[in-house]
Amino acid sequence: MDYVIRVENLKKSFGSRIVLDGISLNVKRRESYVVIGGSGSGKSVLVKCILGLVKPKSGTVEINGQNMMHLPQRAIFQTLLKCGVLFQGGALFDSLNVIENISFGLIYGYGKSIKEAYRIAMEKLELVDLGVEIAKAYPAELSGGMKKRVALARAIATDPDVIFFDEPTTGLDPVTSGTINELIVKCTKEIGISALSITHDIKSLKRISDRIGFLYKGKIIWEGTNSELTTTDNPYIRQFVDGTPNGPFSH
Amino acid sequence: MCFKNRRMFLVRIGGLFLAFLSAIGNVTMFSVNSIVSGIMPPYYLKQIVQQAIQIGYFSLPVVGMTALFAGMAMTLQCFSGFSELTAENAIPSVVMVAMTRELGPVLTALMVAGRLGASMTAEIGTMRVTEQIDALTTLSVNSYKYLVFPRILTGTILLPFLVFIDDVIGILGGYIVGVYYLNFNAANYIHNTFASMKMWDVGSGLIKGAVFGFWICLMGCYHGYFSKGGAEGVGRSTTNSVVSSSIMILLLDCVLTFVLF
Repeated sequence: MDYVIRVENLKKSFGSRIVLDGISLNVKRRESYVVIGGSGSGKSVLVKCILGLVKPKSGTVEINGQNMMHLPQRAIFQTLLKCGVLFQGGALFDSLNVIENISFGLIYGYGKSIKEAYRIAMEKLELVDLGVEIAKAYPAELSGGMKKRVALARAIATDPDVIFFDEPTTGLDPVTSGTINELIVKCTKEIGISALSITHDIKSLKRISDRIGFLYKGKIIWEGTNSELTTTDNPYIRQFVDGTPNGPFSH
Repeated sequence: MCFKNRRMFLVRIGGLFLAFLSAIGNVTMFSVNSIVSGIMPPYYLKQIVQQAIQIGYFSLPVVGMTALFAGMAMTLQCFSGFSELTAENAIPSVVMVAMTRELGPVLTALMVAGRLGASMTAEIGTMRVTEQIDALTTLSVNSYKYLVFPRILTGTILLPFLVFIDDVIGILGGYIVGVYYLNFNAANYIHNTFASMKMWDVGSGLIKGAVFGFWICLMGCYHGYFSKGGAEGVGRSTTNSVVSSSIMILLLDCVLTFVLF
């Protein structure tokens, strides 16, 4: 099987608090895998461990067949060139304008000329339905939804094999959330980029996922497809999806 | 009970000592990582030029004003003391030595620590808590090379220049007060200023400036880079950065004076 991401028995703890307790998951090429779970369940830590931003205690992480745990720094950067990340808050560089933000990875990562990088950046800006008129705007001048779109444009600027979406719709209104979901679907289904997303937005989850993993107490306790999510009688999933106050979570 | 208290006291002392050693280790590793990654290609010249403008050009007004007033006050203070000993002729050379050896480097460093050290920590700290540093890594850019090295490099190179400018303006401030307020003869004042001047006076000040510049930028970046806890955490890091820079400037000044003279 051709996996773009392979995680094996990943463990991470902060002091005595175990956050990830032997997680294993695989994301196939052109697949959209979504990890769901309650707040503080370790979803963001999982993504950061996969990307090498947080050092795991043990386990294996492979991106495009490259074992991230044993690569030198330079090789890790090479592997990350084929990854795009949409951070929860966008993480746009405050000191750079929109076009500079989008072209950043192309110039500094890929070493493209500024002219070429700006041309690609403008294409990506159009792809996320933003006009060229905001190209010179700074992140502080953009709305939350626009920031997310610019961040998405930056994430796909380098034509990555896989994109990581960290809570892509958090803090956005339903309409903007819908737009972001459609853009994610566009990236995964039309462009064919694999995706690993984390969210607790059920509406978003149903729109963007091919396969879902449920993270609870540091483990993936359930895995299934979108349709299985609606039919499963797993009490944790049911409570999470239905949003009822009573259930195993409450205990 | 008494034994337990004593034991707890020793445990605390030991803990503080270990924390101190850990901090030294972390700062050392941080500076080594920054320098090693910075000297390897590719080089981010745009970042270096931007930092040079920030550190060099935009610090000039603050440094210049501080030096002018320090030189003026120094001359007035010297006059009130030296006139009782009828040693007014020594004032220009004392001002010159004080400015070049001590006041120039220390005042410049303290002003730059307050202005730039704080802004570096706040900027890098905000980047840390808003995941911009993580974003740099995911865009395959080494954050030490992109954020830290240009600041440390330009700080180390440009602070001696600022110290030199501080020296010149400080001596000029002394000249203004001496000649236009205390009625010294202008030609005599200038002659006395440079008569006893040694290149080492200026040179030692510039060496101090380079060391202070390195330390200010290292502390500014280090505290910002490891900021956590949102806006409050960034505020705390900024305070720590300025305090640690300022204390170390005075400590290093003392050590360097022992070493250089």
